[in-house]
Amino acid sequence: MNRAVSLALWAGTLAGVGLCAAATAAHALGLAVAARLAWLGVLAILLTPPLRLAVTAGAFWREGARRYAAAATAVLLALVAAALRAARP
Amino acid sequence: MAAVVLAVVGASAGLLGSLMGVGGGVIVVPALSELFGVPFRGAVAVSLVAIIASSSASSAAYVGRGASDLKVGVVLELATVSGAILGSSLAGLAPVRVLKLLFAAVAFYSAASLWLRRHGTSEAQAVGAYAVRGWAPGLAVSAAAGALSGLLGVGGGVFKMPVMTLAMGLPFKVAAATSNFMIGVTAAAGAYVYWARGDVNAELAAPVVVGVFVGARLGTTLLPKLPAKGLQLAFAGVLVLLAGRMVFTVLAGGP
Repeated sequence: MNRAVSLALWAGTLAGVGLCAAATAAHALGLAVAARLAWLGVLAILLTPPLRLAVTAGAFWREGARRYAAAATAVLLALVAAALRAARP
Repeated sequence: MAAVVLAVVGASAGLLGSLMGVGGGVIVVPALSELFGVPFRGAVAVSLVAIIASSSASSAAYVGRGASDLKVGVVLELATVSGAILGSSLAGLAPVRVLKLLFAAVAFYSAASLWLRRHGTSEAQAVGAYAVRGWAPGLAVSAAAGALSGLLGVGGGVFKMPVMTLAMGLPFKVAAATSNFMIGVTAAAGAYVYWARGDVNAELAAPVVVGVFVGARLGTTLLPKLPAKGLQLAFAGVLVLLAGRMVFTVLAGGP
């Protein structure tokens, strides 16, 4: 379980920080793509917590820890609701 | 504003935060708003994004080693996420002067906490078997810490750590790793509300995120080689200066 959650965390973080680093370099070089890269980087970072919660909830469920799986799912739903409200144009 | 300068601000926050065991938000927010003139809510939004990145990176390592108590973490997250959504919603309504004074109070508290911790030995406490108790105070303080995170762009670990160790019976290292795991989720809940209000400036956030990430990784490497007690006092001094400047600008009639 710990390994799956850790991998989810690393994947989201490295993708987000990598895109943010590319955006910073593009900005320093005056490239127009900097804004799009920064947006994608921030988006990747913002999506990492729901990803980690989904992996955590799934891992608790597989281990038979249903109450904790329910708690993780409830937190995930609250985050998704806030994210959907944020994504609304 | 040059991206490189913002990255340096982020790296300083990440480095100091990592060395001192506090989130970088307590530095990023006053540095951006007081030294670089970024609107307070914009600074808070950038801080929350940076906190998610640094918390995710460090908790990935903690979780991988099995140091975090994920069961305690997900239950307390119910409270921190609710608090963060409430706090970040209130931040859109509260006057900036009030938010700045509240932030200064949290920064002074963090500085006092660092000052008192310089003689502490709890970090060295062994991780043995433990029974979790005190869920009611744990949930109450977590909700308050989440609200402060959403309002002010701080991680809130400085409030959760005492209750997790003293009231809930978690060993210090487990509490620190679990708090770190929770901080990113809490910050995300707040960041979504700021995003919905249009307060998140991705081009401003990107270099700060990179800086905080690099600074935090560097801090983890340097930690065993540096004089922790002296650094804690120096960092407490920096916090007092930044918070003092914030109070001064508010009292002088600034925004």
